[in-house]
Amino acid sequence: MVVVIEERVLGLTPVADADLGRMLRIRHFERALLRLFERGQLNGTTHTCLGQEHVPVAVSGLLDPDDYVFSNHRGHGHFLARHDQPDALLAEIMGRAGAVCNGVGGSQHVYHGRFLSTGVQGESLPVAVGVALRLKRVTPGRLACAYIGDGTWGEGSVYEALNMAQLWRAPLLVVVEHNGIAQSTPTTAQLSGSIAGRAAGFGIPHHRIESVDVNVIRAELEPLVTLARTESRPVVAEIAVHRAGPHSKGDDTRTPAELVAAAQGDWQPRYAEAFPAQFARLDEEQRASIGRIVDDVLIRPASVWERS
Amino acid sequence: MTVLTLAKALNEGLRAAMDADPKVLVMGEDVGKLGGVFRVTDGLQKDFGEDRVIDTPLAESGIIGTAIGLALRGYRPVCEIQFDGFVFPAADQIITQLAKMPLRSLGKLKLPVVVRIPCGGGIGAVEHHSESPEAYFTHTAGLRVVACSNPVDAYTMIQDAVRCDDPIVFFEPKRRYWDKADVELGAPGLPLGKAKVVRSGNDVTLLAYGPMVKTCLESAAVAEEDGRSVEVIDLRSLSPLDMGVIAESVNRTGRCVVVHEAPVFTGLGGELAARISETCFFRLESPVIRVGGFSTPYPPSRLEEHYLPDLDRVLDAVDRVLAY
Repeated sequence: MVVVIEERVLGLTPVADADLGRMLRIRHFERALLRLFERGQLNGTTHTCLGQEHVPVAVSGLLDPDDYVFSNHRGHGHFLARHDQPDALLAEIMGRAGAVCNGVGGSQHVYHGRFLSTGVQGESLPVAVGVALRLKRVTPGRLACAYIGDGTWGEGSVYEALNMAQLWRAPLLVVVEHNGIAQSTPTTAQLSGSIAGRAAGFGIPHHRIESVDVNVIRAELEPLVTLARTESRPVVAEIAVHRAGPHSKGDDTRTPAELVAAAQGDWQPRYAEAFPAQFARLDEEQRASIGRIVDDVLIRPASVWERS
Repeated sequence: MTVLTLAKALNEGLRAAMDADPKVLVMGEDVGKLGGVFRVTDGLQKDFGEDRVIDTPLAESGIIGTAIGLALRGYRPVCEIQFDGFVFPAADQIITQLAKMPLRSLGKLKLPVVVRIPCGGGIGAVEHHSESPEAYFTHTAGLRVVACSNPVDAYTMIQDAVRCDDPIVFFEPKRRYWDKADVELGAPGLPLGKAKVVRSGNDVTLLAYGPMVKTCLESAAVAEEDGRSVEVIDLRSLSPLDMGVIAESVNRTGRCVVVHEAPVFTGLGGELAARISETCFFRLESPVIRVGGFSTPYPPSRLEEHYLPDLDRVLDAVDRVLAY
């Protein structure tokens, strides 16, 4: 796939309806969750991916249906970029009928087809290596994609996994959503050296992407993904993002200035300004669609745990 | 019949499992060329290749995590944790992922991973080569926990464990690795979840597993010289417990002693005592007595004979339950 990057509008290339629609679907989904929490209609906890929606949308465009995706605590976008089932995910989070995992997994433990998330940082990476090894043997050219954050690099299991992945040539795409903050701790206070340097320590190719443009991210990711597929090896893609929302709910410890900077880095207002008509149309479409889904799921009965 | 050590019986069992199913993999630290510290995987890499018998980095969390991933896609990995005390770095993957994924998916997702752990003391080694961590895993819903005590069971139990679709923690009694017995290769054994009466008696029931089964059998033989008829049950399965066999025996003898190397405090013996009091209350002639290790780190080797339950401590417990 060659993306011709031209016709830049306010620094953004024209975006396909399918991509912008998905980004907005995830945005409205996450906002709906926070509203449900505020109204006391949803409990437990959740971590929204506000401000990071474009990353899984860009990544998913490069994934094959046979690839495997591993997600983390901030995983709704990862799921929705891969599976057009916001109703099943909302039902999962709310424990209602039609839930993707019968309401057992909730927000952070979703298992569906070739999608698996877990809330504990770094735990998915060794598992992704195992799946990648299996894919390499049985269906060469397929890969395991694991989303992690910059905070995850504090976990020892990351290094066990990267070591094994490189030793055993596992086709593994590690997507690092680098939002610069681990819950409340800035990266500068929790990560020594750099992610690039750590990948280099294992001899693993690394590329950092600064753009919020979904086409640019995809174009810059593509060579790495191709490398993982054709040469069967791990690669690390580090994508700079801004966490536009709190870590969970109302627990943002950032200063007003930091929040302004995060809001300025958000893709959403930039796309709204760059493509007003397209944005308004898709935004309304997704707002209405998620609104209908929320209304529908709210009146569903509780999900039933049945062992299959 | 072939005379095999317990370690060799496990080796033959693994070999049979790998012959039977190409999806079976063996992985762990030094399991390939070396054949494992206790030689349980001796020769397997030579015969089945490096793709199926994998020497891993020193990375217990990575080993179990990778095995989970391999199992997700259809393999049946058998992971060796080199020593009991090395399983703790892997506890995160075992407890938070391996045990829970099948439950969270309501059984849709199967993780046929076997985690082999040489356990227990008595070999003159150090603390982290001598521990009995079974209670951490029996406390975790979603895991099967089993312990073999002799070569015959070792041979069939390891094959049954590999065939089983549930995640299994498989304890091997380290100091009994060199015990020998006649093993009939190719013969099936008692199902994995079943306890076995290994010596019949009428006065007291001894419950044990792994290395303590032999200690209890020896104790029962000595007790017989004093005219006491002691029954010994090898639990084999620590989770779930085969309460049918246990209750039948205790209801008959009315007295029970549980023996394990692990510390008594909140050990498996506590659960057994509680279950027996719930199911056999009206037939009990005495409280259930527990014999086990102390609430200390496992001691240096020169002290371990004081730590490990032995004939004297088991016989003393038998005297105590009979004194009621």
